[in-house]
Amino acid sequence: MSIKPLVAPVALVVVAAFAVPASAGNKLVPAGQRIAVAKSAMTVQPGTEWNKLSERPGRKAETWTQDGDELNDLTFYGGIESGKPLFREVDRKNQPLPKVSATMLITDIPVLLENSYRIALGAASVRIDTIEPIPFAGAKGVHFTYTFSKQNETLQRRGDARGAIIGGKLYLVTYEAPSLYYYDRSAAAARVVADSVQF
Amino acid sequence: MGASDDIGGIMLKSCRALLAALSLSLAVAAPAYAQEKTGAKPGFSLMPGTARIVLMRPSIRVGAQSTGGMYEPNADWTDQARENIAAALAKAQTGLGNSVVAYAEPLGADGAKVAEYRELFGAVASSVIEYQFFKGNRLPTKKRKDQFEWGLGPDVRALPGLDTADYALFITTEDHFGSTGRKVLQVFAAMARIPVAAGVHKGFAGLVDLRTGDLVWLNADMQMGGDVRDAEGADKRVRQLLEGFPGKPVEASVVSAPAIAASPAIASAH
Repeated sequence: MSIKPLVAPVALVVVAAFAVPASAGNKLVPAGQRIAVAKSAMTVQPGTEWNKLSERPGRKAETWTQDGDELNDLTFYGGIESGKPLFREVDRKNQPLPKVSATMLITDIPVLLENSYRIALGAASVRIDTIEPIPFAGAKGVHFTYTFSKQNETLQRRGDARGAIIGGKLYLVTYEAPSLYYYDRSAAAARVVADSVQF
Repeated sequence: MGASDDIGGIMLKSCRALLAALSLSLAVAAPAYAQEKTGAKPGFSLMPGTARIVLMRPSIRVGAQSTGGMYEPNADWTDQARENIAAALAKAQTGLGNSVVAYAEPLGADGAKVAEYRELFGAVASSVIEYQFFKGNRLPTKKRKDQFEWGLGPDVRALPGLDTADYALFITTEDHFGSTGRKVLQVFAAMARIPVAAGVHKGFAGLVDLRTGDLVWLNADMQMGGDVRDAEGADKRVRQLLEGFPGKPVEASVVSAPAIAASPAIASAH
């Protein structure tokens, strides 16, 4: 028992030491090549160059950016299973994230994102602006837009998402950027990627 | 007896783990210190006496940092810092080589827009630190030779009063002073050479070309010196923020920039 206080800092040290190199190694996503994303069968074909960040929002998700994820963020969720949250829990014990359900309707997808963001971004405001049905890689999907700001910030961010429940799993592509300048700057490039989703 | 053997074994393992972690952290810590702190758009230069620069009202936040690293805002400290930094900037702005005038902040919707641009500047500067200055994490599309392509967009010029100026100078400071618990954690972590920061002392100063919206010069660091809660510290912070400012006459006192930035305690003693 008396060892425990000693072991804990050592464990912390080891974890910290390993955590540093894991954040390195962002990769170039070349234009014009079809590639699989988010460790899934989902593939996309970008029309311009992007950077794939080594840091993932969750096990079955990945983020692309052109100038950094605070300025433009294209995230793919590749088949989030029933019972799992959209992305990594921030405070599982006190504020668990809502979970994906295989029986979700497509109109539940914007609600899931809204409620997940409310928790993950603290007291931030999140508002769904538009929702419309669209075909998503041949399935019945949903396209929605939203506005939000992070905790302690007044910088408005806009989001555009397309997704569907396919085989009981959630597939979703989101594009987000500050409304000022950055959103419009990469919106067309992000749309090309989102429109190219195939399985 | 068996128990004491176990304890010995665990102790030995712990020591080994600690040693392994030590050597690992030494190996990985090096690139973090090689981080750049200043960047400029290739080809950008500013001659003294040629430009009209508008100094935007700085974004200043001061608070405490809990043991777990959470930020707790402190209104008194923030007010003190605002006063001190304003006074320090008033002293410094006459020595920048070009005409620097404080921005007359508009009210209402335009004022909100200005505040949003201030935050956008903060987000851009943070991105430059994370994805350009920190070489190990640089974005592949930002790795090309002599590249420094960042900005706030050309619409920044549409803010009231900026159409007659050449450049806008944005300044952001954010200080989270470490609590006692955080400092204790730092001491333990330092024994293992793990860089746990007690406190955050962000400082960004950036010059934006108002014709294009491009960020042409940025000085940004997550660990600046100078306690902004007192006048002397604010002077020091402002000196560091404006170090290497384009068009500024060379100062004899500012020589060893990285050493000052790395050891605020030593520098403030003088």
